[in-house]
Amino acid sequence: MQTFRAWAAWLGVSLLSVTSAICAEGVIEGHVTLPAARSTPVVNKRYEIVSKGGVIATNPPLAVVYLEGSFPNSPPPPTVQQPQKDLAFVPALLAVQVGTRVEFPNLDDTYHNIFSYSAPKRFDLGRYRPEERPIPSQVFDVPGLVTLRCEIHEHMRGAILVLATPYFVVTDEAGNYRLSGIPPGRYVLKAWLSSKKTLEQPVEVGESKVRLDFP
Amino acid sequence: MIAPSSLESVGAVRFRTRLLIAMMLVVSAITAGVLYVTQRKAAEAYEQELQHEFQAELAAVHGVQEIRHAALVERCRALVRRPRIHAALEDNALDLLYPSAKDELRDVMLPDTDPTSEPALYGLHAEFYRFLDHDGAVIRAPNTAEVGELSAAEEAQLALPGAPLRPQLGYLVRQTAERANAITEVFAMPIVSTETGEPIAAIVLGFKSAVFPGSRDANGIKRGMWLNGRLQLDAVSPAEFAAISTELAAAIPGSQDNAALTMRPVEGARHLLFFKQVNPGSAFPAAYEVCVYSLAELREREQQLRWSVLSVGAALLLAALAVSHLISGRLSRPVEKLAVDSAEHLAQRVQAEARLEVTNEELQRAARFSADASHQLKTPVTVLRAGLEELLTHEKLTPEECHDISALIHQTHRLSGVIEDLLLLSRMDAGRLKIEFRRVNLTRLIEAALDDLSAQPGALDLEVESDLPGEMEVSGEDRYVAMILQNLLENARKYNRPGGKIRIRAKSEDRHLLLCVANTGRPIAAEAREHIFERFHRGKMGENVPGYGLGLNLARELARLHGGDLKLLRSDSEWTEFEVHFLTAVVRPSDQEVTS
Repeated sequence: MQTFRAWAAWLGVSLLSVTSAICAEGVIEGHVTLPAARSTPVVNKRYEIVSKGGVIATNPPLAVVYLEGSFPNSPPPPTVQQPQKDLAFVPALLAVQVGTRVEFPNLDDTYHNIFSYSAPKRFDLGRYRPEERPIPSQVFDVPGLVTLRCEIHEHMRGAILVLATPYFVVTDEAGNYRLSGIPPGRYVLKAWLSSKKTLEQPVEVGESKVRLDFP
Repeated sequence: MIAPSSLESVGAVRFRTRLLIAMMLVVSAITAGVLYVTQRKAAEAYEQELQHEFQAELAAVHGVQEIRHAALVERCRALVRRPRIHAALEDNALDLLYPSAKDELRDVMLPDTDPTSEPALYGLHAEFYRFLDHDGAVIRAPNTAEVGELSAAEEAQLALPGAPLRPQLGYLVRQTAERANAITEVFAMPIVSTETGEPIAAIVLGFKSAVFPGSRDANGIKRGMWLNGRLQLDAVSPAEFAAISTELAAAIPGSQDNAALTMRPVEGARHLLFFKQVNPGSAFPAAYEVCVYSLAELREREQQLRWSVLSVGAALLLAALAVSHLISGRLSRPVEKLAVDSAEHLAQRVQAEARLEVTNEELQRAARFSADASHQLKTPVTVLRAGLEELLTHEKLTPEECHDISALIHQTHRLSGVIEDLLLLSRMDAGRLKIEFRRVNLTRLIEAALDDLSAQPGALDLEVESDLPGEMEVSGEDRYVAMILQNLLENARKYNRPGGKIRIRAKSEDRHLLLCVANTGRPIAAEAREHIFERFHRGKMGENVPGYGLGLNLARELARLHGGDLKLLRSDSEWTEFEVHFLTAVVRPSDQEVTS
């Protein structure tokens, strides 16, 4: 949990700093109404990827809010990490911009074998130990949802949402989000709730802060 | 004597035969019963043994099968947890399903290159596999060579109504290159979502069946399978096949308890048929294990058993015959002897009785004659005496005439005495004389008799010595005891010499009283001694002695009637001595009371 918070904080800070560095203009804030958390007896509270009837979501629910539209070419996104820690992906749900290289460092004392059969990115990193260098990584250049699995630990599940936008954020547990540094213009704001449910609303970003809630 | 004895021996032989037959019947019945029970028990035991054997064998086979099934289920369970398979199914990558499975099932699908290896031996290598989707339909494999060739019809049989919740066992009849109608065990293993626990798909694996069909055990049990209304059983003749098929087709739809082992005779009880559903509760079509046990061997063994029982029975019967012959001979021997003896005894008795009857009649006649004669004589004698006494009263008689008449009267008295004695004797002979036993005072009777003796005429000047121990009492009747004494004293007087002696002694001895009466005089001749007690016997010296030879006989008969006897003790130049003994009178309480 601590780790996740630290990572989330780091992610948020880095994203904010990046976006604000590019164009410190529009800010979208709001709230996504998340579905009720499934009452699974999770002892160690983690964000886990669950699929029910082929629908992949996180548990407890989180949403990814991102902005679609045409943006000027941005520099290639920085490499991000989605490590395996305590036989789980941290974070369980990772949102990245298309073209991002994601590293999968092994922070456990055992082998992991990360692979994905998802259509946007099929890969198999093979078995590797924690000290494996360079850290196994993949570049995700097709938008879509990639489900991560470990060939050795059948219960491990992770997801990467590859987005064709540099403006995205994962909500907190309450569903609150904040996107900043958006150049003014007309966009579509989307909220990814699960592989089968993505909400969207048109939004016009100007000088001022925009408040937009997803019911 | 010859005729009855032969008759008796015929009877004895008949008895022996009857005894023998009875013993044989009993022995035969017992033997037959024992043999019957033995045979029944042996047959029952054999049948039970057969059932036990069968069940034990079946249990052993089922045990092996269960272990094998458990191993197979475990193998399949490991397979369905493979994340790649889950990924292919859950992440919408069905194109990667069979390629992923190929790697995962490499060990399972390994061909049996080494037939002695354990997996090959227990049929742990799969012949084919297929995936079923969430609805239970078969997911087609892109390359059937890698997943095991199946015809379209065979593949269609793998489909289930839906992805199962639990492992399912089924059977598939396949036409393979190796053999026709090969039976393959099919396991359908659910692939369950790790998140929700719901089945999302299933993998179906086919394993070569280790046991079926037509496998034959050492003791003649043939194993096959009833599947989809058809019998899969080799190693039986077409007729047997048809009969068993008919029986199963009739029996299986009605069998309620699928888990139970049902046993039925078929084909006129030449076979025993067992069947049992091997996949109860399975979503696949019900498959029945079918075992056929040929009863030919059983019947043969029963026949052998019967023959051995019969031969043992025959031997037993022969032995029993011999033994019973021996026993009946031994048993009947004393009986036969008894029969012969009794026959002889009977004959002798009949003869003796006849003789006795004759004698008795003669005796009776004689006695009656004596009695009649006595009675007939008594009256004329009385009349005669009365007439003589009448004559004597006449006054005109001379003293000589008087003397003669007196002498005649005396003779009539003698005649009366003889008649009395004869009457008495004849009564005794006829057994009509009953002594009324009372207490008799012998001392007083002796005194009276001695008185009478001294009063007798023609005294010989005899001296009487008596040595009597006081009061003597004997048991008897007064008049007869007196008669005995009179006779003895009379004899002692009559046969005495003039101036001789009479000696009377008495002594008690045990319960008897011995009375000895002796007299002097000529001794009785030795040759006459054994005749002195006969009737009308008179000694040589008795020609001039009055008497008629009845006295001693009468005395002895009376003494014997009194429970005593009369004997001649001695007869020599000094004494002739008779001894009579009486029973001592029993002192009765009432008498004691009287005397005291």
